[in-house]
Amino acid sequence: MFAYYGRLALRSLASTPGLTALMVLAIGLGIGVCVTILTVYHGVSSNPLWWKSDRVYAVTMDAWNPAEPAYPERPHLAPPQLTYIDATYLAASDVPLRKVITYPVNAVVSGGVNAGRAFKTRTRITTGDFFGMFDVPFQYGGGWTAAADAGPQNVIVLSRALNAKLFGGASGVGQTIRWNDREFQVIGVLNDWQPLPRFYDMNTGPFDDPEDAYIPWGWGRVLAQITSGTLRCWNTAEPVDTYEQVAASSCAWIQMWVELPDASARERMQTVLDAYWSEQRSALRFQRPRNNRLTNVAQWLRDQEIVQDDNRMLVRLAFAFLVVCLINTAGLLLAKFLNSAPASGIRRALGASRLHIFMQHIVEAGILAAGGCIVGLLLSAAGLWGLRVLYANSTETGSGYAGFSYVDSATLVWALVLTVVTTLLAGSYPAWRIGRVPPTVYLKSQ
Amino acid sequence: MNLQIRPTLLGLLREGAGPWLVAAQVALALAVLVNAVYIAKQRIDKIGHPTGIDVEQVFVIRSAGFTPRYQHAATIRADLEYLRSVPDVEAASVMDYAPLVGRGNRVRFMLKQGDMAHGVRAAIHSVDDQALDVLGVKLVAGRNFLPQDILPPKMGDAAETTVSQVVISRVLADALFPDGQAVGKGVYATGGFVSSPAIITGVIENLDGHTMNKDNQQHVAFLPRLPYPDEPAATYAVRVRPGRMPQVMSTVEKHFEAPDPDRFIDWIHPLQYFKDRASIADRNMTTFLIVVTVLLLSITAFGVFGLATFNVGTRTKQIGTRRAVGARRIDIIGQYIVENWLITTAGVIVGCALALGAGSWLSSEYQLPRLDLYYLVAGIPALWIIGLLAAWYPARRAAAISPATATRAV
Repeated sequence: MFAYYGRLALRSLASTPGLTALMVLAIGLGIGVCVTILTVYHGVSSNPLWWKSDRVYAVTMDAWNPAEPAYPERPHLAPPQLTYIDATYLAASDVPLRKVITYPVNAVVSGGVNAGRAFKTRTRITTGDFFGMFDVPFQYGGGWTAAADAGPQNVIVLSRALNAKLFGGASGVGQTIRWNDREFQVIGVLNDWQPLPRFYDMNTGPFDDPEDAYIPWGWGRVLAQITSGTLRCWNTAEPVDTYEQVAASSCAWIQMWVELPDASARERMQTVLDAYWSEQRSALRFQRPRNNRLTNVAQWLRDQEIVQDDNRMLVRLAFAFLVVCLINTAGLLLAKFLNSAPASGIRRALGASRLHIFMQHIVEAGILAAGGCIVGLLLSAAGLWGLRVLYANSTETGSGYAGFSYVDSATLVWALVLTVVTTLLAGSYPAWRIGRVPPTVYLKSQ
Repeated sequence: MNLQIRPTLLGLLREGAGPWLVAAQVALALAVLVNAVYIAKQRIDKIGHPTGIDVEQVFVIRSAGFTPRYQHAATIRADLEYLRSVPDVEAASVMDYAPLVGRGNRVRFMLKQGDMAHGVRAAIHSVDDQALDVLGVKLVAGRNFLPQDILPPKMGDAAETTVSQVVISRVLADALFPDGQAVGKGVYATGGFVSSPAIITGVIENLDGHTMNKDNQQHVAFLPRLPYPDEPAATYAVRVRPGRMPQVMSTVEKHFEAPDPDRFIDWIHPLQYFKDRASIADRNMTTFLIVVTVLLLSITAFGVFGLATFNVGTRTKQIGTRRAVGARRIDIIGQYIVENWLITTAGVIVGCALALGAGSWLSSEYQLPRLDLYYLVAGIPALWIIGLLAAWYPARRAAAISPATATRAV
């Protein structure tokens, strides 16, 4: 029966080639524009650690200026970073399964096959749990343990790109390289890893690439390396010229994350925060209202307002565009189906049921959907190519929108389903209307 | 030509959902068109705003030390001496962060100590006495820094490295002293960057500070001091004779590439590079808006065209009959144009409401200025014309139907 409907539908579509092309193009454009825009949106607003949303939390406490909130435009939030005092105290707790305290620094790295050349690298000073907590993929080797943080041991993890620069195609694991004027042994090389946005540290360039090198937490103090990211201070009376002064100050500059496997761990961690807050408050620190937060990644992205207005606006625009494309197709389908109503009248008179007529038209709409789907995919490919051209500048300039150059499979499947469902919906109203018309009307008009 | 609006309207009302769907398309298209063009216009204005700096003539180098042996002050002295000796270099200056580069310090300036509530946020730049010459920024009042005013890099709170004079941009001066002279007045600042108070020695023309796309990006203060060695780095801004930029940059780059065990060159770029980078988001948004709007208008036009063409096909007999009983070609064209105009107008009326609604929603949700009504007024004829053009060809085809063919056809 479907083959018969299919033949009827193809014949009907072929009898009006211009109109058919117009409908296919309209559907295709709607899909193409939507996929392109949603890829941008997906790229900037997605949660790069969604599978751990109920386990991984940012830790924030409001140790800011008693006179004013850290961000007057977001007064309900504590600063996104912690002071050294608070971060190191909280990281000593054994409640979390994993805990990360971390910040970025700049350094120069040399060694490997390009021994003569020095490369400027952004390096992350972090506790070893970083790799396990954020599920960072390794190409070779692995990370380090808490012992290496405390030591600290001369171990370093390189990004895939830096490893390629230093060691060509080969693994650098086991080799020794120079980091500033010290020697470190390479113990791990990351695989491609680009969380978009870089949720664990959004203080500088949320869409920047992750750092090129990672060294144990203890080196920060030993080498007196203050953050190259954002150091925010409010108490102008404090000296902040040396590492020790910054570490003892009320400046916020350390990102802290904890992994809490279940609700009870989460409650216990909250208790740890609150108890610490009360104790410090009686010691006259923490003079602002209590605001001890454990924030999961999804909420973190919302709090830090990473979903930019422009992108939200574009999603609305994409939606309006899709609606126009659908109305367009519905209007054209309606006109076409009503025009072919006399033929349907004859079929009804010859014994076809309402359902048959309805099905025949739905099959026709379905064929249009399939055509629109193919055109839509081609146009999406063109749209994404356009995006790449548009964002080529940004990649050059280091704003790192490279992630927009591919569509993930979820977006693709979503697009296909959307195409079929919307076109069938657009076709079902006229199909239903024709099915309801009594056949005699058309027989008489002949 | 006799434009028969009433019968056309009655006919349309009997057509069913088709014309309504076209009208809905027109309505949405108008709402999107008006708001998209309005937003795009604002972005284009923002991209084109004057920076107040001779961007085309300046390039910037950032150098950073990375070993304990690195001699900050001596390196800066040697670098500046070299840069000023290069042929075709008009001036060179050292600063902590250059304007437009996207990174730097911001403080709040106040008229009273600790009066943060009435503070004015501004970008601060540690500069030397040649910064104004390099950037091409004119002095409006007071005086520029003298070479002996430039303090060594800040070391703790030592009095001899605490800045006691500032030069500020005109908008910052106006914000701090709405009704009067700023030169010679004292100001306070958060962050411990200047003494309490610091004296305003000069006011300069407006220029963009280190971070664009921030509110008050032209609130800028210059502090006479060599760059901060907390991350021991210095930025050199170099002004080059017009047209000599590529040659000078390559000469300078070669000089700095010579291996130095204690410092490296972070980057070297024309200032234009940073200006372009700062406007990328706006340029992309504008492109997106224009492309999507053009596509949307095309789709709408095709919808109008498709429906009108289709109606010609289905009404062959009717048109032929009209022609046979005396209607002229122009009357048939008139019928189509009027019919189409009625549909478009219905869409435009709903579209006006939609456009205003979308505009006020956008302005409340995204803090955009409220939709300018001129855009709406201009959008209405735009859609009328698009509808007219889309219906023109089908109308001509309808008029071409000969009375004889029409009556003969089934």
